[in-house]
Amino acid sequence: MNPLNKTFNLILLSVIILFIAGCSNGRSSEERRAERKDRVELQGAGASFPAPLITAMADEYRQITNRRVTVNYQSIGSGGGIRQFVEQTIMFGMSEAFLSDEIMSEIESKTEGRAFNMPVTLADVVVTYNIPGIEKGLVFDGELLVDIYMERVTKWDDPKIAELNPGKDLPSLPITVVHRSDGSGTTNLFTSYLSRVSEEWKSKIGYGTSINWPAGVGGNGNEGVAGAVMNTPGAIGYNSFSYALLNDMSFGYIVNSSGNTIKPSFEATTEAADINLPDDTRILFTNTPAPEGYPIAGFAWMLVYENLEKNKAVGNRQQAEELIEFIIWSITDGQDFSEELGYARLPEAAIEKNINMIKQVKWEGEPIGMEILKSNELI
Amino acid sequence: MKNFSEHKTLWQRNLWDRFMVALLTFSTIMVMLPLLIIIGYVVVNGISALNWDLFTQELGSPARAMQGKSTGLIHTMLGTAVVDLLAIIIAAPVGLGAGIMLSEYPDHKLNPILRVINDTLNGMPAILKGLLAFALIVKPMGTFSGLSGGFALAFVMIPIIARSTESALMSIPWSIREAGLAIGLPRWRVVLSTVMPAARTGLVTGFLIAFARAAGEAAPLMFTSFGNNYLPNHWTGMILGPVDTLPQRLYSLAISPYKEWHELGWAAGIVLLGFVVTLFIIARMLTREKNYD
Repeated sequence: MNPLNKTFNLILLSVIILFIAGCSNGRSSEERRAERKDRVELQGAGASFPAPLITAMADEYRQITNRRVTVNYQSIGSGGGIRQFVEQTIMFGMSEAFLSDEIMSEIESKTEGRAFNMPVTLADVVVTYNIPGIEKGLVFDGELLVDIYMERVTKWDDPKIAELNPGKDLPSLPITVVHRSDGSGTTNLFTSYLSRVSEEWKSKIGYGTSINWPAGVGGNGNEGVAGAVMNTPGAIGYNSFSYALLNDMSFGYIVNSSGNTIKPSFEATTEAADINLPDDTRILFTNTPAPEGYPIAGFAWMLVYENLEKNKAVGNRQQAEELIEFIIWSITDGQDFSEELGYARLPEAAIEKNINMIKQVKWEGEPIGMEILKSNELI
Repeated sequence: MKNFSEHKTLWQRNLWDRFMVALLTFSTIMVMLPLLIIIGYVVVNGISALNWDLFTQELGSPARAMQGKSTGLIHTMLGTAVVDLLAIIIAAPVGLGAGIMLSEYPDHKLNPILRVINDTLNGMPAILKGLLAFALIVKPMGTFSGLSGGFALAFVMIPIIARSTESALMSIPWSIREAGLAIGLPRWRVVLSTVMPAARTGLVTGFLIAFARAAGEAAPLMFTSFGNNYLPNHWTGMILGPVDTLPQRLYSLAISPYKEWHELGWAAGIVLLGFVVTLFIIARMLTREKNYD
């Protein structure tokens, strides 16, 4: 035997041995085979913001099902998630923006069924700043933020700021405006809020995942904005709430549409979504009408086909059923992971709408969503 | 020539000689320096994250790493081995065939086109090869898979193998082919039994260069093998389902916002480097001495 063959065999053998070592856990091979038979892998991908929560849920779900159900979630961004969902290469997508009417009708004509946008968690954006001598709790309202981001208010001791913050010793420091330079769901939420509170912002600038900023310096990602804010005295920026908490940044309180000053908190974010939701939950509720709700918040959605057999990524009925089981678990028991990981819980209203949508999920015409909800005693 | 007439005395020539040797030594060091810096930097940063868990545990969620629970990259290492092996299995026969064609049948009508196509394929950005594999395999199968990753990497390997095979075979003197033809062997037999064994060193080296090059590619794998946080449940999952690979995982660990994952990324870098360096050492050992038996 020549040495080339020998080496190849050796490599092959070691791969096999390592693999077997990785799989075995000391039970008889028959048991393992029986177990493996009903093991399922669920593939999902999309938004990076909810990724830590979803993967932590996946870890836990794998444990409570004794490794029977593995949920593999890859964070590729909201745009990528929608794209791969439409291409049918993943069983569920995840996005911080709901599907557009265009995509909804495209899917409807291709699969003879709808695509559901199911909220799984909430995103919230806080205004972060760096003013020497001032901790968190500076109060802002929508108009003031528009003025600052349009550079009409350029100093921290401007009367407009002082009016909202009586008793605070504001320095005469110039304001440096910081925004995201990359496309992001955080920017989408923040600019959607500014558009809701100001006609001028809406018509001149608008909202989206990346926009033409009238002023300011750009930072790449949450960490880019945070870095610029923390290194520049007098800077103001916006970050996702969990990021600001994790990095101990000063953040502001916002006066909401009911005139209440809201301190960012998971409860206030959940409250914001506790409104009259449309049946398909495709709604942006920034500047929420909820009186105690935090105004810069939005859903992160899980994308699922109504006719699961039409999604090429779902191979068989068993996978479809396990997918529904996982969705149900993630909007109920799975929510318990929210706070410790920096996310707000879903409000009752959203869970109700989710259950209504799950009811309609079918496999070859059979209402398997309904059946599984019944077996979980949720309806 | 002018130089030599200027330096007539022995010490002048000696000095000139030393100067040239010093210049060459300097150039050699400059070639090796980036490599040494990279290896040194990766090792210094990653060595602290190397532990037993890295080689026995799956990655899971970032919460695992942040809460100090055990997390590792066993699924990534096995995935890399499977995808790279699939790629070389797919690429070797095709690349070898194209190389033989280019070198042994120089007057074939297809050769000029083949050469252009091969060079274009070689120069094409690797992500396009991933896109090709996505369109050819992922879309029809309806799932990301190790197999599609293997194909994407095979597209990276094929032009390199074809080129190196061609030049390895070309370096064998024509007299060897003539000797074979003279005793009445058909042409394919000559190639298989005399030219290829004589060119073995070059062929194996070519394979390994192609393999090492592909083993470091992340772009073609993003939308083919896709990534996985766990080992698949069935062994077939490595081929028919999404799998993790070192270069791609390294990238996603590096751009993640978690300090713990950055450390894990450095460790993944050490493992990947070790993998490639081991390959080259094996190649050296296989091809040394064996040339003229």
